[in-house]
Amino acid sequence: MTTVKQWSAEAIETACAGQGIALAPGRAERLARGQQALLGASAADALLATLDFHADPTTFLLVIQKSR
Amino acid sequence: MSDPALLSLAEARAVPPDDLLQACRARIAQWQPRINAFLGFEGSAQAGLPLAHKDMFYRAGRVSSCGSKIMQNRVADCTSAALERLDAAGFADLGRLNMSEFAYGPTGHNEHYGDCRNPWNPDYITGGSSSGSGAAVAARLVFGALGSDTGGSVRLPAAACGVTGLKTTWGRVSRHGAMPLSHSLDTIGPLARSAEDCALLLQAIAGFDPRDAISAREPVDDYSKDGPVLRVALSSAWIERNADPEVAAAVLAAARQFKNLVEVEPPDFDTLSAHCLVVMQAEASAQHAQWMRTRPGDYSSAVRARLESGYAIPASQYLEVLRLRGAWLERFCGETLGHADLYLLPGIAVPIPTRQATGPQGGPDMPRLLGEVTRLTRWVNYLGAPALVLPCGFDARGLPLSLQLVARPFAERTLLAAGRAFQRATDWHRRIPD
Repeated sequence: MTTVKQWSAEAIETACAGQGIALAPGRAERLARGQQALLGASAADALLATLDFHADPTTFLLVIQKSR
Repeated sequence: MSDPALLSLAEARAVPPDDLLQACRARIAQWQPRINAFLGFEGSAQAGLPLAHKDMFYRAGRVSSCGSKIMQNRVADCTSAALERLDAAGFADLGRLNMSEFAYGPTGHNEHYGDCRNPWNPDYITGGSSSGSGAAVAARLVFGALGSDTGGSVRLPAAACGVTGLKTTWGRVSRHGAMPLSHSLDTIGPLARSAEDCALLLQAIAGFDPRDAISAREPVDDYSKDGPVLRVALSSAWIERNADPEVAAAVLAAARQFKNLVEVEPPDFDTLSAHCLVVMQAEASAQHAQWMRTRPGDYSSAVRARLESGYAIPASQYLEVLRLRGAWLERFCGETLGHADLYLLPGIAVPIPTRQATGPQGGPDMPRLLGEVTRLTRWVNYLGAPALVLPCGFDARGLPLSLQLVARPFAERTLLAAGRAFQRATDWHRRIPD
């Protein structure tokens, strides 16, 4: 698996500016560090390896009904 | 008349409504300056059992601030489904309760309207975001209150204030006319003096509503009914290793009230919490995008920072985490619960922190502290499952300790039956702050 790379403050600032969001001063640096943990958790989730290719976000509606 | 502060909802039905209203208003006058639970009062409440609700449930013609500056003057043009149903069931609405700004904070701080304060000790947090709901019920200002739970916002104030709080299954209670935060996670549930009272409130508000796109058509159970003896799963070693010693001792002692205990491997709380946060951040930031472009200065610094985080979540990551959601729910039901009905754990695993340590002047340790407070609630929202928080003791500082039970989707009846059984054998839920 490709190693997850750290987001830079500049990349975060550009991504937000591209959506019309102006970050508070100094925020981009803190965001870059914080988001890394979340991105890493998703990429490292072992269930991904077993996830059915046909599963999509709406699959959850079926699962929650049958899990009663 | 018996002191209404000591009555359950069922018992209060025998008391004339005017007497109840008078008694609640007297307690509000006594407690409001100390805990700041109410943001506004209903001038002409209909007669009935007195409740009040988090200020995010719209009532036509009335302001719902959602704890924010941005919506402080917004008059609602519809009444929320949950309030409609409580009105129809004969409950009175005494007013609008304090909350974290836009329900986006776990502590009960509010820079716009003042922090809601814990009735057991005002230096400590109430938990959030349904801060006023937890504090008002704990101080016995009302018999119950609605809250919303997106990452723990019913359960954290229930835990910190020592009351009973129910996070419902995603889709069980209509969200029509309630402020949205994160549509994949948002749920509505009651906070009350006991599991029995939560059952009465849930009975009134549960059920299909075509005005909420994810409203479930599952039949509504009779939540007052007890069932067969329950099998309860828990992970004692994990609790002993990870929870504060006072919390662990109280929760494991509480667990012994359940006769059929089975030890299991714990769910991966931290991965599931991270997934929940990805969904919550992405959806909340999309919900607020227009105001974040035009009025960012009207948010508190803490909520603005939380919203900024969501714009740095790649769309593919958000969708991948949602793709995984069903698989994680199947794993929880099939492997963690297995043949058990409930999974038992603490509501909050660490001592309740002070408002100072978790507020705007909180310092560099604050993010870690907030992460610990929410560690055991968010994972349940990601799974969409229901959960009940119950008081199970007090720490050396006199602050409540809490137990959390998690069930399969739509098994609120099982949860409430277990809660009633626990509260028949204990009296933590009857303790009232001075």
